[in-house]
Amino acid sequence: MPKTSTASNHYDVIIIGAGLAGLSSAVRLGMFGLKVLILEKHFVVGGLNSFYAKGGRKFDVGLHALTNFPSESSGKSSPLLKLCRQLRIPLDSLNLLEQSSSRISFGEIDLCFNNDFEFFLSEVEKVFPKEKDRFQKLLSKMVEFPAYSVDAKEISTREILGQELGDSLLAEMLLCPTCYYGSARANDIDFPTFIMLFDAIFKQGLARPDRGIRALLDPLTDKLKELGVERRMNSPVKSIQTDQIQVSEVILENGEAFTSDHFISTCGGLETEKLLCLPDTPRSFDLGRFSIIESISVFDGHPRDFGWDETVIFFNKSDKFFYDQPKQLVDLNSGVICLPDNYGPIDSSEKKEAKLRVTHPANFKLWSELSEQKYQKEKCFWEDVILQNGLKYLPLGESKSELFKNRTHLTDTFTPCTIKRFTSHENGALYGSPTKKRDGSTKFSNLFIAGTDQGYVGIVGAMLGGIAVANNQILRNL
Amino acid sequence: MNKNNIKQIVLDIIAEIAPDEDLSGVKSDIRLREQLDLDSMDFLDIVMELRKQHGIDVPEAEYRQLESLDSSANYLLPKFESGATA
Ligand SMILES: Cc1cc2nc3c(=O)[nH]c(=O)nc-3n(C[C@H](O)[C@H](O)[C@H](O)COP(=O)(O)OP(=O)(O)OC[C@H]3O[C@@H](n4cnc5c(N)ncnc54)[C@H](O)[C@@H]3O)c2cc1C
Repeated sequence: MPKTSTASNHYDVIIIGAGLAGLSSAVRLGMFGLKVLILEKHFVVGGLNSFYAKGGRKFDVGLHALTNFPSESSGKSSPLLKLCRQLRIPLDSLNLLEQSSSRISFGEIDLCFNNDFEFFLSEVEKVFPKEKDRFQKLLSKMVEFPAYSVDAKEISTREILGQELGDSLLAEMLLCPTCYYGSARANDIDFPTFIMLFDAIFKQGLARPDRGIRALLDPLTDKLKELGVERRMNSPVKSIQTDQIQVSEVILENGEAFTSDHFISTCGGLETEKLLCLPDTPRSFDLGRFSIIESISVFDGHPRDFGWDETVIFFNKSDKFFYDQPKQLVDLNSGVICLPDNYGPIDSSEKKEAKLRVTHPANFKLWSELSEQKYQKEKCFWEDVILQNGLKYLPLGESKSELFKNRTHLTDTFTPCTIKRFTSHENGALYGSPTKKRDGSTKFSNLFIAGTDQGYVGIVGAMLGGIAVANNQILRNL
Repeated sequence: MNKNNIKQIVLDIIAEIAPDEDLSGVKSDIRLREQLDLDSMDFLDIVMELRKQHGIDVPEAEYRQLESLDSSANYLLPKFESGATA
């Protein structure tokens, strides 16, 4: 039987961070009777995928798309089904609304996709007829590659696509959505992550729970309550104490200390190493540097009133995709547009208001060095520029710019500094360090990394990562 | 406790962890994986539920013993019996 801890401040497992990875691993461990404590710096759960209210409206921080929709053609293979089963949250309870259709737009060239993979294949064939055989060969190579195993080799996707495809534009157009949905590397993505995201976006598909991220966060927190898992909010961990082999306790900013048999940290690899306070030990995680800015407009009516019926648009101005920290505050050359109101069936009921979200690469260092006054000024300036620029990629968007402006009654923008605030990631790195540790192990036998720096990113990835660490590092060894 | 009881216990656990699977026609002598959509994560859950509900420990090296209902019954029966007399 598990030796369940009884001393009041000693736990079986302490989890740092109440993001999706932390909450998911806590549910797994609590489910089988372990005494678990979650320590979270913020006052809300969800981490990068949280929610807030502004101007009387609810906003999701990070939900553009729930990937891995178990579409008809992808059947039971979707990891989303696996994680629902593991957490015992019925998939139906999420009330998933499917995307209408989405697009990758490079200059004059468009590739459209929806939740039917065959449609995407036909689009690739239509736009790149000469690539048909090579693309099929690439797809077979991707199926054969052990992308989902913990020791998958992190080779360069750019190199592979360069070898396999004849037309570099197709390679660039495949890199764009996959990098945006989960690459911590500059201007590239490692091949296993590319395959996982390709499957997640194209083979499975995009959806959105009708209630947004709360549809996932609420059942998770309800379950934790039921299972008696303790959760302390507003409780930043200041340091993790070790004796060189094992971790013994964590200490909060306010000085409180907690001991435990196992520790799971979801705040990032490098950030966890910093908490270990071992100044002479070389860091094993590199510093990530890819961050973003996102501007949101709330407008009257429905996107269809403007003729905009797509859900997500990945856009790039030229035929060369550049994915890195820009040299200026914001890189307008590429980005992602999301119209969350275009999930779900077209209903005739009149929509009172809708949202437009536009995301671009941004430079953390430049944003963080601004004085408070300058920061607010730049934020205001870029908010407008970003929204105007985004309209270029929507059908007849530019000509509707005045109308759109008049109908917009609330805007909000978050910068790389906001991401740092929500995740504590160094550099506001959206997807953490380019160094990943898939099995979550560290040099300390009872300390594990989960979530972003395992290399499993996005909502589904973070949750699966948290589950995998709970299962393979703790439950299997009880 | 007999083998049939144990098969039912395992089936009940599967019904709990995989409510979307149809268990009505499951055959005892055929591997569960061949009849149902179960993966290694699901087998871990069967093991964890046996521990939680019945106090039975299955070491990781022996997870394979649970591959069919028959093999589970054969493997678990002595464990249930020794638990009952302990
Ligand atoms: C704008 C935006 C849009 C996104 N859109 C999507 C999308 O559409 N689909 C998708 O799948 N993914 C999306 N993502 C990515 C997704 O949000 C993340 O990959 C995922 O939420 C990461 O989860 P995590 O649990 O690994 O980490 P986090 O969410 O970063 O959780 C870590 C937690 O640890 C806490 N913490 C940090 N340091 C400490 C400390 N010292 N003590 C205590 N607690 C601490 C943090 O406060 C945080 O709550 C988006 C992200 C952004 C920013």
